[in-house]
This record gives sequence, C-alpha cells and structure tokens, in this order.
Amino acid sequence: MALECEGLSIDIGGTSVVRDVSLSVGDGERVGLIGSSGSGKSMIVRSVMGLLPPTAHVSGSVRLHGNELAGLDDASMSLLRGSAIGMVFQNPQNALNPVLTVAQQIELPLRLHYDLSGGERRARVLRMLGKVGLPESFADRSVMALSGGQQQRVGIATALVTSPRMIIADEPTTALDATTQRQIVDLLRELVDELGASMLFITHDFAVLSRATTRCYVLHEGRIVESGSTDGILDHPRTTYAKTLVEAAKALSLHVEEGNGDE
Amino acid sequence: MTNRSRSVYARKRSPWRSIGIVMRSVWARGTGKFSLIVLAIWLVVSLVSLFWTPHSLWATDGYHVWSSPSRAHWLGTDGTGADIASWLMAGAGVDLLIAVLTVVVALAIGLLLTACMVARSTVLSRGSVVLIDALISIPTILVALMLAVPFGASVGVIVAACGLSYGLNMARVCRPQALRVANSSFVESARHSGVGAWRVFMRHVVPNIRSVMMVQLSLSAGTAVLAEAGLTYLGVGVPSGVPSWGHSLATSAKFITVYPLTVVWIGGCVTIAVIALNLLGDALRDASDPLTNPALRQVDYGA
Amino acid sequence: MASSQTLTRYVARRILLLLVALVAVSLVIFLAIRVLPGDVAVVMAGTDASPAQVSALRAQLGLDEPLWRQYVAWIGGVLQGDFGTALVSGQSVAAIVADRASITFPLILAGLMIALALGVPLGCAAAVTTRKRARGIYQAVSIVGGAVPALWAGLLLIMLFGRGTGLVGVFPTQGFPQNGWHSFGAAMLSLVLPAVTVGIVVGASMMRYTRSSLIEVASSDVIAMAMACGMTRTSAMIRVGLRLALPQLVSVIGLTFAEMITGVMVIENLFALPGIGTGLVTDIGNRDLVAVQSELLMLAALFLLIGIVVDVLHKVLDPRLGEDHD
Repeated sequence: MALECEGLSIDIGGTSVVRDVSLSVGDGERVGLIGSSGSGKSMIVRSVMGLLPPTAHVSGSVRLHGNELAGLDDASMSLLRGSAIGMVFQNPQNALNPVLTVAQQIELPLRLHYDLSGGERRARVLRMLGKVGLPESFADRSVMALSGGQQQRVGIATALVTSPRMIIADEPTTALDATTQRQIVDLLRELVDELGASMLFITHDFAVLSRATTRCYVLHEGRIVESGSTDGILDHPRTTYAKTLVEAAKALSLHVEEGNGDE
Repeated sequence: MTNRSRSVYARKRSPWRSIGIVMRSVWARGTGKFSLIVLAIWLVVSLVSLFWTPHSLWATDGYHVWSSPSRAHWLGTDGTGADIASWLMAGAGVDLLIAVLTVVVALAIGLLLTACMVARSTVLSRGSVVLIDALISIPTILVALMLAVPFGASVGVIVAACGLSYGLNMARVCRPQALRVANSSFVESARHSGVGAWRVFMRHVVPNIRSVMMVQLSLSAGTAVLAEAGLTYLGVGVPSGVPSWGHSLATSAKFITVYPLTVVWIGGCVTIAVIALNLLGDALRDASDPLTNPALRQVDYGA
Repeated sequence: MASSQTLTRYVARRILLLLVALVAVSLVIFLAIRVLPGDVAVVMAGTDASPAQVSALRAQLGLDEPLWRQYVAWIGGVLQGDFGTALVSGQSVAAIVADRASITFPLILAGLMIALALGVPLGCAAAVTTRKRARGIYQAVSIVGGAVPALWAGLLLIMLFGRGTGLVGVFPTQGFPQNGWHSFGAAMLSLVLPAVTVGIVVGASMMRYTRSSLIEVASSDVIAMAMACGMTRTSAMIRVGLRLALPQLVSVIGLTFAEMITGVMVIENLFALPGIGTGLVTDIGNRDLVAVQSELLMLAALFLLIGIVVDVLHKVLDPRLGEDHD
C-alpha cells in the first residue's frame, strides 16, 4: 500500500472536523476523495502532509509505504515532504511563492533534498518544464507573470520534480476554467502514470474525479459515507449525499461530453 | 464569506444589550479582567484626587525638600517640598482626561476621514486618501511643537496633536474594511432605496469597522498617556504647575540620586495604566467579534 | 510585479504631493508663529528689552513688511539654502542643524539597528513557537515593552548602568564630548545608553509588528507549499514568511520611525545630548523663532520624504501589487 489511513480524527480548536476516517491508496493507483467544501477533505490531506496548524489535534494512524507517520515531528516530516510525497495545491496563485522565478520555484524540492550542482538542477528543471508543456523560455520569468493554467503547470512540475512515489492533489483544478481544468487533469494523470506513482486526488466535482481516478471515497461532514469504483458510484450512487454530488456533476459539460457527446 | 458574517452587525437590534455582553465577555478573560480592574482603580483615584489627596498639592515643606519616602510622604517630596504621592494621584486625573479627550478627537477625525474616503464624490475620496498619505508621516511631536509655539504648553495642545495623528492613523487602518462594506451589495441597495449617504455610513459602514476602531482607539488612549509624559518632559505638554504623570516622571528624573526607587514606582504606575489600555483593545476586539464570541451571535439573530 | 512605468508615475505623483504638502506645512508653521498673540518682535526680544531694541529687531527681521512678503522672503531663502540666522548664537540655522544632526542621526541609526536586532528575531520566535509557555512570555515582553515611557526606560537604564548612579556604573549619562566626534571613543560611549533606550522602546513595537505580520502570512498557502517542498514550519516561516511580510514590515518601520522621534527627543534631553530635539526645544524656550520655523520645516520635509521612500519601497517589494491590493 502506498498510503493507508486508519481511524484518522482531527480536532481544530475544539471542533471535530474529521471523524474516524480510514482510506487506502494502492501502489500505482489513482484514488479520489470527494466531498463538498467544509467536508474535511483538505484537512485529511494536510494532516497526511503534516501541514495542519500546531493547534490541530490529530489521532489515528497514517502509513506511507508501510511506515507510520503519526507522531513524527515536523523535522522528520519535512524529510518526506517534497521527496517521498509531492503535493499540488488548489490555487497556484496563492500557493506559488510570488518572489520566485519559475525555475527557482520548481527546483526548491531539489535544493532541499538533494545535493546537486547548479547545472544539474537547471537541466532537471528544463526537462520538467517540457513535461508539463511549458516552453523553456518561461524558466526565468516570475511565477506571477503566468496565467492560472500555466501557474498550475508550475505547481505540478514542483510536486513531481523529485519523482515522489506518492502524489497528493488538493483540488488542483478548482481555480481554473473548464477547458484548462481538463488539460490539467489529463496532464496530472499522464505524469503520475508515467512515473508509476500513486495519487490521492481531492475534489468536490465528480466530473473531474471520473477523469482522474479509478476508485474513490465520498466524504460528508468529516466521515466517509461511501466508497467504491469511481464509475460505479457515478452510475449508481447509494447515499443521498453521493446522489446530490453526482447530479451536480451531470450538469457539467465535462461529463456530458464523455457520456453522450452532445447536449 | 467575511462580509456575510460581519454584516450580522447591521442587523443588530439592541446596542445596550450587546455592550453588556461584550463587557461581560471582556471580564471573562484574564487580560480583560486585569485591564478593567486597573482602569477602575485609575478612575477611582482620579475622582478621589479631585476632593482629597494625602497632602495639599500646594503645601510646600521648605524643611523637607528631596526627602526620601516616609510615613508622612509615601513617595518622598520634591524640590519644593511638595508631596510626590499627592501629585501622582492628581496627575492620574489629568492623564485620564487627556486619554479620554484624545479618544474623542481621534474618533471624530477618524470617522470624518473614513466617511470622506468612502464617499461617492471622487474629489472627497481621492482627496482624503491623498491627505492621509501626506500627513501620516508627520510625527505627533512635530504637530505638538508647531501648536506649542503660538499657544504655549497646554492640555489642549497634547489632545489636538495626538487626536490628529491617531485619527489619521485610524482612518488609514479602517480604510480597506470600510471600502469593502461601502462597495457591498447591501449598501448599494440601501443607496438605491434612497437612504442618505450619512445614514448609510452610520448604519452600515461604522458598525462594520467598529471592532477595528475600538482596538485603534484604546491603543490611542495608551499612546496619548505616553505622549503626554514625553511632551510634558520636553516642556510642550501639560504646563508646569498642573499635575500630570509626565510632570511626576520629570520630577523623579531629578530624584534619581536621592532615592532611585521612587523612579521605579512612578514609571511603574504609568506603564501599568498603558498596559491596561492596550490589553483592553485586544480584549474588546475578541469580545466584540461575533466569530469568536457566540453570545453576541444570539443577540444579533434573536428577536 | 509593478511595472517600472507605473512605479515612475507613482513616484512622480508622490513627489508632486510632497511639494504641495510642503507648501501647506510651511504656511502652517509660518502662520503659527506670526499669529502669536502680541508682537512677535516683543516676544522675541524678551520682556526687558527697550523699545529701541524691539524696533531694531523688527526691522532686522523684516516684520514691518506685509505677511506675504515675509513668507516669500523666508521660502525664497530656504530654496537657495539660506535657512536664516539664529538670533541667540548668530550662526546660520543650516550650520546649527547640521551640527546637531551629527549627534541625532547616529543616535537614531544605532537605535533603529538595536530595535531591529531585538525586535525581528523576537517577533519571529513569538510567531513560530508552538509552546504555550513560551508564547505567553513573548506576549508579555511585547505588551510590557510597548507600554514603557521612553523617559522611564532611560531612567531605569541610568539607574542600572549610569556612571556614578548605576549599580554597574560604566556608561556616561550626561552630555556629549566637547569636541564632538573628534574624540571618537568618548562620543561613541556617550551614545551607548541613549541608543539602547531608543532601541528597547522601539524594539518592543518592532517585535509586535513582526509577529503579527508573520502570523498573517503563516496561514497562507505559500507557507504550506514551501513546507510541502520539504521545509520545516520554522524555516518556511523565516525563509519564506519573512520575505512575504517584508513590504508590511517596511511600512511599519517607516511609521515607527515617525513615532520614534518623540522618544529620541526625550532621550536627548534626558542624556543632555545637544541634538536636534534638544536644540529645537531650547530654541522654542529661547523664543528664537527664526531658527524654530526653519527647523520645523526641515523636520517636516524629512518625515514627508521618509514617508515617500517607505511607500515606494513597499510597492517595489510587494510582488503581488496590482493584483489584489486595493
């Protein structure tokens, strides 16, 4: 198993936001976690990454490739972040460091984890730019000078530059327009598969989910209410909550395009 | 999202009830309790000093100048033999007056400028922003010195200089929030339904910047006390012969070779009073924010 | 990033504004002195001057001329670098101010350095710490530090370290060496306690601002992303957060600078340093109004200029400007 959570509960400031969540991501598997905003899905991935504020109280077990992460201090977690797990953020505009250039942003995990020469890092960054479909000439531009879609490509390049075996994508398409959404999802899927990595993909949108994942968990008010193959849940949602989410997704062109072609 | 939760204020029905809740909630905090107790003692001492001080302020004892603390003179006597403790008590009243007046002036100037900044007229809104940007970098003391040249040292000079500076500061701090409210849809619709500009301002904008304002004002009160001490020491604050904490501190500066601990007591009093005012600001902010104080939410939605 | 063209336009607008503000301030200063109740010449000459002396003074200062002529004469002189002649000493105001500035500027600079060296690391520590106890202590330090009157801080330091009165009497507490910076060691020594006083008082507010602006960026995704790349929380806060908070901090330092001057004047007086603050207060006491009006104008110009520099720096340092600011 690439990632296993068991009995994960999270309290922030006395409020319980995640209750007894268990989920797993197999090696090379792309798994979704879907729920509306406020359902606690971001909290789950942030607790896996060790990004929750120090005031949060986390209990339960999180195993990455069989190694227990719960109880590790920030220094030990920082050795895994950016090398064993990469993360793509929701809104690149708010997450990319605005004072860096594209190359400086992408090479940050390399700098922090590997002892490479400047030339080697540069070569790696340029190769990564090619993979995410950005021209090499972008390397020395400011990250703020790019469009939202381009910024998210930089975000993906940063998450993947160290070839981590586990990728966490926290609503990577929410801040983008519909066409760009699909491009980004396809790119992410392609790169993760090419790397042979596993991915946990968070979204509130079934249409995006069906394109990105094969299996998924439905999260409602901090609990997992349903799980199974993405297509299965999309076709036959069992709980009312999953039904609402599916209804909402059907209204979106992304799914309709895949299903019927027109309409 | 913030706007929705803040606009709760706009539907508030009984101001007195929510003031009661806020004060109780301030009292419930350790720091809030400390500042309320200190402020209460300050107020009582000020009131008492109007009628009674251990010695008359003007009773000078020529045989006991610069004397160390004794049972008769708790903090000793100054160069004219006057009782330092009595002057400190009387100074409490003057400084309380300065703090209160400064808050009033700063509030008036701050509200006026904020109103100008969110006004529809471009001349007013642009002009006030430009005015604030230009004037904010002029230090309080420079204003005080300019005023002190024609008017001489007086309480009015301190209040005018501090009120102007802190009012400018308050307007600048309140600006983003005030603009957000002024451009919001509910203010827009209020305007369309013919509500006057000033009414919109008092009804919608002011309640939304209230918590920022309260923090700024209580900080201003504390800073005014510190400014009084500095200005009076420099001779452009409270005129000589009028008791004030600045006067007491200046006296204690000369005391340093006689009985240094007097310096500690007097400065300590001023510091504790300023701490109380600063803490009150923080406590008021937390207590008056419906996001952190559930008791307030019930009032707002209730009825 | 703000383009260089918009930046140039902004600077040009601010400088234009500076000129307008300077004219306004000079008028206020000029009128404040002229509307003085009573005859300016009588006030300046003092109560024991003979009528002949008063009228001589009046002629010398051009007080017989209409107000606008006097104003134009003053500003005309200022524009040519002539700030007038001080009545008491007979020296040019420009020379006197330059002399005093050679004490005040090093004092402010040293005070600012000490404030930064104390305030920024303490503010970072207060923002980063996860231990409740430590947070409480930092909080207490910043609250108490921000409430101490500059005068009292100076007195306490004199009590502790002042030569003659202090428990560990090592530093001089009164005056500046006669021949100024020529006796460099003595001059430096006499600035130690004043600079430390300024540094402590200003450092406390610097600490508070550093902490609050760091906490403001702490919850941003930029910090989370830096951590996701492999930084610890502490290093992300300091290496990334501090840079993000920098525009905010620069603004705050600028404002602190303006507030600092009150403390600086008080401390110059307390330590009997013949700096700009002491000089200005003495000139006001001596009713040397020619010197006072030029000195006030110079100080106002200085602070307006600092205001511009700070605002421009803020704009240059803020990479997101124009996207989500106002």
